[in-house]
Amino acid sequence: MTLALDEVSFVRRGRVMLGGVSAEIAAGRLTCVVGPNAAGKTTLLRILSGELRATSGRYLVDGVDAGRLSRRDIGREVSIIPQDVQPPPYLTVSEMVALGRFRPHRAAWRRPDKEDLALVRSSLARCRAEAIAGRPVEGLSGGEQKRAWLAFGLARGTRFLLLDETLDGLDAPAKRAFFELLRAVAAEGRGIVLTSHDLHLVGGHADTVLVLGGGHLDLPHVPR
Amino acid sequence: MAAGLAVLLVLGVLMGVALGPVKLDLGTALSAIVSSDDATARVVVWDLRLPRVAAALLVGSCLGLAGCLLQSSARNPLGDPQLFGLGGGAAIVQALAMAGLVQAGTWGILALSVGASLAGAGAIAVFASREGISPARLALIGVSISALAAAAATGILAQARVFSVQSLHFIGGSFTNLTWADVTPALPFVAAGLLLALSVAGSLNAMSLGDRVAASLGAEPVRTRAVAMAASGILGGAAVAVAGLVGFVGLLIPHLARLLVGHDFRAVALVSIPLGAAFMLYADQAARLTFAPSEVPVGLVTALVGAPLMIGVARRVL
Repeated sequence: MTLALDEVSFVRRGRVMLGGVSAEIAAGRLTCVVGPNAAGKTTLLRILSGELRATSGRYLVDGVDAGRLSRRDIGREVSIIPQDVQPPPYLTVSEMVALGRFRPHRAAWRRPDKEDLALVRSSLARCRAEAIAGRPVEGLSGGEQKRAWLAFGLARGTRFLLLDETLDGLDAPAKRAFFELLRAVAAEGRGIVLTSHDLHLVGGHADTVLVLGGGHLDLPHVPR
Repeated sequence: MAAGLAVLLVLGVLMGVALGPVKLDLGTALSAIVSSDDATARVVVWDLRLPRVAAALLVGSCLGLAGCLLQSSARNPLGDPQLFGLGGGAAIVQALAMAGLVQAGTWGILALSVGASLAGAGAIAVFASREGISPARLALIGVSISALAAAAATGILAQARVFSVQSLHFIGGSFTNLTWADVTPALPFVAAGLLLALSVAGSLNAMSLGDRVAASLGAEPVRTRAVAMAASGILGGAAVAVAGLVGFVGLLIPHLARLLVGHDFRAVALVSIPLGAAFMLYADQAARLTFAPSEVPVGLVTALVGAPLMIGVARRVL
């Protein structure tokens, strides 16, 4: 399964945020999108998640034109942890991660089933978040919040997980541990897309690096 | 807990039916509900006390649920129909009606109140949908709308020289002299508010994650917020039309419910309805019995009891 961008552009109020980007993002790989501020990284992720529609070009989700899919359809395959995500009021980590199993259909009545609970537990365990599972997300440190959000993203169970600068603000050992986890998750068949400012940081870990500058894509750099 | 709430409600209803200036023992009061042997007791119970009890239950549950909907859909712990200015539009309509400047019958005034409250809800929904608006800014906008509307309503009542006790009971909220004719027209509006709330009850849990994540989960945040705000507008407007401006209930009850049942919106809403009803019922008993035969506005009691409770909740969870 792949997410494919074919000459995708996004223009807002006359400003080209993304210009003619073509790329293929495969499941089972860790893809890093690198570039300076305003390079178009977040815009690219918002198009991949279905939040924004390309103003020209085609975006294909497993071969199907995203223009024919609803946001909900795309959300079944692609989940996103935005850069500006805020801790949910009141919720504990485990309550937040459990929301990863939210399904819009019959949401008023639905209760988590065994599979949901198992996925929530395993997501918390993989992110080493069991010890903070009962604590309110608002009261956590920045690094702990990022672990909680990553556990939420894993609990979604979607084929692709988009992480917008999720590693920002972490110290070097925490970043290394994160990359190891992301690589392990990718190895199980999921596609992870991570944006970052730092080419050197991601270069040693990513399967594919897409370098963006001024809304345009340089040639994909494949370190592995 | 369900049993505890049920006992609380039954005791409150019994108090509301049995106690008052006309002395009735509990047996007489209860038998007057089903039999018409004692004509005086039947009039006291059916025409004076039961409508008041029903109104308090209705208004309390409306405000409890409306507060829940606002707090969850706006991700804002200050969500309350009065604080967010939803009751303001309804208050202006009621003040105009009391001043004799709008004459549209009970149904018409109720519909106008709900419409005005919906307009307030629409304004808040537009602000709340703006990306990155902070809870504090949203609350400030709501408080400003609310203050403006309260000033306008007070000005209308003062200008029209509406009898001061009547004005006081409206501004402070009151169930004095309510009849079935005041309560029953509100029922269809409350039912509509409930149905709307039910249609988004599941999605409101996802709203706590922020609009972008909620949209990725398929929770359609803009539509969910609009429906939730519309429901709270209808419920808040109907509450103001029946009882005037009663503060603190919409703000406090969802926080108390969260302490009791956790953070799942569905459970919080389900508990906020009877909890709001019980809180309002007991507040009204205090308002009408403490200084009997004279009464104090019920909003005075909800503030006197609600303020320390709210401070306690704020210290513990906010």
